[in-house]
Amino acid sequence: MRRYTGLLLPLLLVAALLVIAGLLAGGRGGHTVIVDRGTPATEQDLRERRGPLVDEVVFTQQQDAGQVVGLIERGSHQVFAQGINRPALFQRLRDSAATAYDLSYGTSVELTFNPSGPEFSDGRLNPFAVPAMREAINWLINRRHIAEEIYGGLAVPRYLPLNTAFPDYARLAEMARELELLYGHDPARAREAIRREMQNLGAEWVHGRWMYNGQPVSLTLLIRNDDERRRVGDYLANLLEGEGFRIERLYRTAEEASRIWIVGDPAGGRWHIYTGAWISTLIQRDQAENFSFYYTPRGRAEPLWQAYQPDPDFDAVADRLQRREYSDWEERQDLMRQALSLSMTDSARVWLVDQLNVWPRARDVTLAVDLAGGTSGSNLWPYTLGYAGRQGGRVVVGMPSLLTEPWNPVAGSNWIFDQMITRALNDPPVLPDPFTGLFLPQRIERAEVTVREDAPVIRTLDWLSLDTTEDIEVPGDTWVDWDGAEQRFLTADETAPEGLSARTRVRVYYEPDYLERRWHDGSPMSMVDVVLPWIMLFERANPDSPLFDVAHVPAFEAFQRHFRGWRIVSESPLVLEIYSDQIHPDAEAIVANRVPGVTAWHVLALGILAEREGSLAFSSNKADRMRTDWLSLVSGPSLPVLERQLHRASEIEYLPYAETLAHFTDSGEIVARYRSLADWYAARRHFYVGSGPFFLQSVHPVEGSAVLRRFPEFPDPSDKWLRFAEPEIPELTLDGPVVVTHGETATFLLEITLDGKPYPEQAIQDVQYLLFDGDNRVALRGGAQYQGEGRWLIRMDEEAFANLPMGANSLEVAVTSDRVALPAFASHAFATVAGSAPPEPIEVTP
Amino acid sequence: MSDAPEMAQSVRSRGLWRDGWRLLVFSGKRLIALFLTVLVGVYLTIFIANMGGQVDELRLVQIRGVVSEAVRADPAFQDMTAQERNELIERQISLEVERLNLDQPFILRSFDYLYRAMMLDLGRAEQMHSDAGSRQVYDIIVERLPATLLLFGTANLLVFLVSVWAALHLSRRYGSLLDRSVVALAPTSAAPAWFYGMFLILLFAFVLPALPSGGMVTAPPPENRLDYLASVLRHITLPLVAMFISSIFISIYSWRTFFLIHSSEDYVEMARAKGLPDHLIRRRYILRPTLSPIVTSFLLMLIGLWGGAIILEQIFNWPGLGTLIFQAIGHRDTPVIIGTVVIFAYLLAVTVFLLDILYGILDPRVRIEGGR
Repeated sequence: MRRYTGLLLPLLLVAALLVIAGLLAGGRGGHTVIVDRGTPATEQDLRERRGPLVDEVVFTQQQDAGQVVGLIERGSHQVFAQGINRPALFQRLRDSAATAYDLSYGTSVELTFNPSGPEFSDGRLNPFAVPAMREAINWLINRRHIAEEIYGGLAVPRYLPLNTAFPDYARLAEMARELELLYGHDPARAREAIRREMQNLGAEWVHGRWMYNGQPVSLTLLIRNDDERRRVGDYLANLLEGEGFRIERLYRTAEEASRIWIVGDPAGGRWHIYTGAWISTLIQRDQAENFSFYYTPRGRAEPLWQAYQPDPDFDAVADRLQRREYSDWEERQDLMRQALSLSMTDSARVWLVDQLNVWPRARDVTLAVDLAGGTSGSNLWPYTLGYAGRQGGRVVVGMPSLLTEPWNPVAGSNWIFDQMITRALNDPPVLPDPFTGLFLPQRIERAEVTVREDAPVIRTLDWLSLDTTEDIEVPGDTWVDWDGAEQRFLTADETAPEGLSARTRVRVYYEPDYLERRWHDGSPMSMVDVVLPWIMLFERANPDSPLFDVAHVPAFEAFQRHFRGWRIVSESPLVLEIYSDQIHPDAEAIVANRVPGVTAWHVLALGILAEREGSLAFSSNKADRMRTDWLSLVSGPSLPVLERQLHRASEIEYLPYAETLAHFTDSGEIVARYRSLADWYAARRHFYVGSGPFFLQSVHPVEGSAVLRRFPEFPDPSDKWLRFAEPEIPELTLDGPVVVTHGETATFLLEITLDGKPYPEQAIQDVQYLLFDGDNRVALRGGAQYQGEGRWLIRMDEEAFANLPMGANSLEVAVTSDRVALPAFASHAFATVAGSAPPEPIEVTP
Repeated sequence: MSDAPEMAQSVRSRGLWRDGWRLLVFSGKRLIALFLTVLVGVYLTIFIANMGGQVDELRLVQIRGVVSEAVRADPAFQDMTAQERNELIERQISLEVERLNLDQPFILRSFDYLYRAMMLDLGRAEQMHSDAGSRQVYDIIVERLPATLLLFGTANLLVFLVSVWAALHLSRRYGSLLDRSVVALAPTSAAPAWFYGMFLILLFAFVLPALPSGGMVTAPPPENRLDYLASVLRHITLPLVAMFISSIFISIYSWRTFFLIHSSEDYVEMARAKGLPDHLIRRRYILRPTLSPIVTSFLLMLIGLWGGAIILEQIFNWPGLGTLIFQAIGHRDTPVIIGTVVIFAYLLAVTVFLLDILYGILDPRVRIEGGR
């Protein structure tokens, strides 16, 4: 036996390690993790419970998306804040009994064309300088194939420069459907257009190949090789080769490609087509600017954009939409319809698909997921995260990274995963609906929006009012600027004695007990928490201030262009008025972009002292310029500095900008604040004090985890936002005759449901139908009539069919809802026959 | 006659001085050579990491893209005219360019990087932060060092000690079943540790859920130190085993071949013929003359721990230096890349210098040129 000790030893060591680890694991009940799911709860329980549904949320770093399903099945994680777009992983997720998922639509894939030419500087042909050639690519490609085969079902076809999940698409659904059918896959039409245009350009068709000036026409496809766009590029290359072009495929990463397509001179001819993609992490309710951005030189200053030469009509429409130069909503919609049609004729970009991101979670976990930003971009996750039908318990959330950059409320980390966590620690006055992007009140009771008559603004929700007026005068006592030297606000009377006017006025009525709440460290709130952040906005742009930050100046100047004033109407209850020249099409967005919130002033005060001393800086840019550390409230070298400042501030009872702020507080509050903060720091070793539904219990930077606990004093019931846990996407069933005889009427029945129950009529925005003939031309359009119980009727008289040719036709229905931006579509195919002809069997499209 | 001891002492004294002088000259030459090697190595790293300055162009494009999209996505800027917005973008870009010193030619910056690196002034990172939030390269590296040393130190020490010990035994049982088994298993080391890691994760973390699939400690970390230690032990097991399996057989095989060569030297055969016991032969006749290569290998292994292993750490989500270097390359954060390289270069140079001295002590046959 001794002869084998040489081999046995390492084996024994390995075995010993495994046994020790096994024993350790066994000591904790094996590694089948016991999940704390809290206790069962009735609806009444949830109404009575304050704050979030769960007691604790643990964030931990998990970079390998491949492990997601296994980790959820094992119970070690319940939610992943990382979108998945790998079909194989999606299949596993779908097949697992322990997992569920939500979908988001923020990524769009398109083909960007080089518009330079028709000849590059070296004489080579660029056929895509001709709009008709670009337009032909719409017919050449099969978007459904790309969505279903290349993206494995994790994408939906997209034809237009509007995201298919955002409100503008839904509002223009009938126009969108019309264009989608017009530009659907039609290789014969594509070939015809390509041949016509190539010949017009002087190219010759020789032995199945296009020749130009005696040389084969070669196209360079710049193909991104770091995601599915590699296969999209190959697919397009094969199609173009089939059309007689010689194809050169350049496979490049994002960085390598951007040097060619963004900053390279398009006339240099290094590429013809690029496989592009764009990401949006929030629902854009106004995409009118897309036409200028994607198709005109106004989009960006880079050479590619400067090479765009849109049709003058298109350019004018796009410009008006970008500048919001329309008098009312109807005019805007007309412009949008024109722009959509013209953008397809231009086709400087051919849109392919809207990619779906899959956000995994355990099957019994609920949370509101944003239609664009997914789980990590959701604003409502802290208010909705929980176990179905239960209260309490712990949820473990995996994310690719956390604590990527320092956290502070002035200019801290803007990484999406850091922000996902900090969102739970704060409680903003308004919150966006995750399915429509419209803002809803959280800490305000109501708002009054007044706009000038020339401002095209609409209101959708009833928590605010919208009025128009000829002129909005800014009252004389409104704060319009900040005097850094005297440390006081300047009023409109002082800065503009001749009077000041604005395009909008927002009057916000906060909840009556808004300033009677407490911060996480137990301090009561005060007006200083409202006013100090406001002062800092000005101070950080003041070159004479020790808080001056050059990186803040451009944004501040942009703000100053439209800011017209800020007025405290009442302190208790808090009512504020904000005057501005900035307009958003939604009145809800005007309020959301104007309404101030609160930031714990005693925490800011420590940062102010540290930045004045030169030992820390609020922003990354200033920290680098000062060669000091970027202020972090939660970890690292900032903590001892802030602790020192806390002692100092306590000793001198420091109140920043006391000349102004002393009016809103007293010495007792100052002392109590610093004492609470010292206790908080002693208990938790960090300075992040918020007022959100969760407080930050602990941070473990190297181990990559952070722990949030339920804030029991949070004022709202746990079920306040639960209605947003699932998107209410209408489900449609369209039925009707498969044969319609000329000279007769026809009735089609549309059922709109949600989970098998009738979809509420009041939530339906619009039900539009389009009647298409066999050539996909619109023959008729109109609306449906509500019949009750989720049933809608579309009646067509004999005249509707009079102009339809004999043969196959189709009825398309588009339904839009107030509750979700995503429109729903249904179609029904039928045949039109002459009055006396016998009906023939018709295949019905499911 | 009475002068003879004095003369002998004087000769000895002169000899010592001469040896000391030669040692000094040798040390000086070696230090200069090593310094120049480090200098060239570090500059090459700076040059390659920046692709001879081409990275500047990539970074400019990246900055432009990030700033443009940020401005476009911000509702505060949505009602600006295209010209105003482009002006704003240009201002933001110039601020970032200024912050990163990209307005200076790369060649000037490269010498600045080199000077600071050679002075061991690791400076500030350009994009990255330590997990705790510091921008000092020193903090960034030091924060990750313990995790790397723990995993790679344990694994490499285990592999080294076990393989040397096992190899000694096998060298005396050449051709045995055990020896042939190790030779047969040696090719398994062709697969890297992360390859075994994936299988181990699949097996022990998911099929038989007995051990965690990654990370260094449970989330949140236990507050009790013993629980913390136990948690680290559970988390380190799989990566440790992966590294052990991937290295042990080739390591035993290579040491066993090394010892085999030395075991068949004439003086070893003579010792065996004299009937000396095995342990004496091992210690005096095999280990002693082979001590220099063993020490060399050991020391180089120790400094090799510094770098960590990029893929293994990624697979096991281990917060070590390998992951850090991976992130630094991804961010093109030159100071962090240089920081890790310059520390390794200095450690290597110091080790090589120490080995030169140690060789003279361990092996009497090694002498400074011209020495006795």
